[in-house]
Amino acid sequence: MHATLCDLMTDLIQNAVEADAAVIELIIREAEENLEFEVRDNGKGMNSETKAKATDPFYSDGRKHAHRRMGLGLPFLFQTAEAAAGEASIESEEGRGTVIRFCAKTRHVDLPPFGDFAGAAAMMLTLLPEGEMTIARTVNGAGYTLSRRELEDALGDLRSAGKLKLLKAYIASQEEDLRKAG
Amino acid sequence: MAKLTLDDLRRLRDEKKKVMSQRSAEGKRAEIVIGMGTCGIAAGAKAVFDAFLDEMSKAGIEDVVIKQTGCMGLCFSEPTVEVLCDDMPHVVYGNVDDKTARRIVREHLAGKALVSDHIFDKPSTDIIKNAGK
Repeated sequence: MHATLCDLMTDLIQNAVEADAAVIELIIREAEENLEFEVRDNGKGMNSETKAKATDPFYSDGRKHAHRRMGLGLPFLFQTAEAAAGEASIESEEGRGTVIRFCAKTRHVDLPPFGDFAGAAAMMLTLLPEGEMTIARTVNGAGYTLSRRELEDALGDLRSAGKLKLLKAYIASQEEDLRKAG
Repeated sequence: MAKLTLDDLRRLRDEKKKVMSQRSAEGKRAEIVIGMGTCGIAAGAKAVFDAFLDEMSKAGIEDVVIKQTGCMGLCFSEPTVEVLCDDMPHVVYGNVDDKTARRIVREHLAGKALVSDHIFDKPSTDIIKNAGK
């Protein structure tokens, strides 16, 4: 299992990268009652047969590792949602992209901790070799957005140690501001 | 910390650029690739990423590129990290935790010596024997 919700999100972003997406959106909404997030990508998508198997931990499409018979990313997500009185879903169309949604009860005892979002978001924004990745984060109605293109415009290539450190500090300051607003 | 704006980031980038241009005279490339498949994430790749950033910041290393990739097929030795430096053998380190990541920065990137006890993909026996020195 993944230790934090940020780990679950990172895993979904990595799936989108491997689906050859050029645009990835992460939308996170935290409120008193529910915590929701969704990942939308314009990658290669799945046909109905693959989509039906995607939540089976003993299924992998075998494209990357020919003899692999396991794929645990999406099963982890569904298991976590169910454990925390929520649900997860997959909407996908071959050639058009995929939307993965997660929802759970914010204060459920079995919901993993949220995790360090500043570090996780810095990783997620730089997972895609090139293209656009946006993050829209809302906590109790207040929020901020991050756009990889805007950040690259400000910093240049984001993937050097010095730039990543700045990126992480930037996101941490948005998080701090968000907590003050809440 | 006051909320940073994109203009603040531009200013900080320009300040860093001055320092980096003084340091990058060597022109050597160094790149770290962290495995971020489900296996890597579950084994603690995020903590490894944080440790690399922190230790490089302490060592004043700004220009090493940190990339991420999916599962490298070495799930049993996650987190895995590939290190590519122009003047060193390319290696894949396995079972990298916070402490090992910091050692990779100090010993491999700064000290130009392999962290032999974590090498998964051995470059060659003679290099291992001499610990990359």
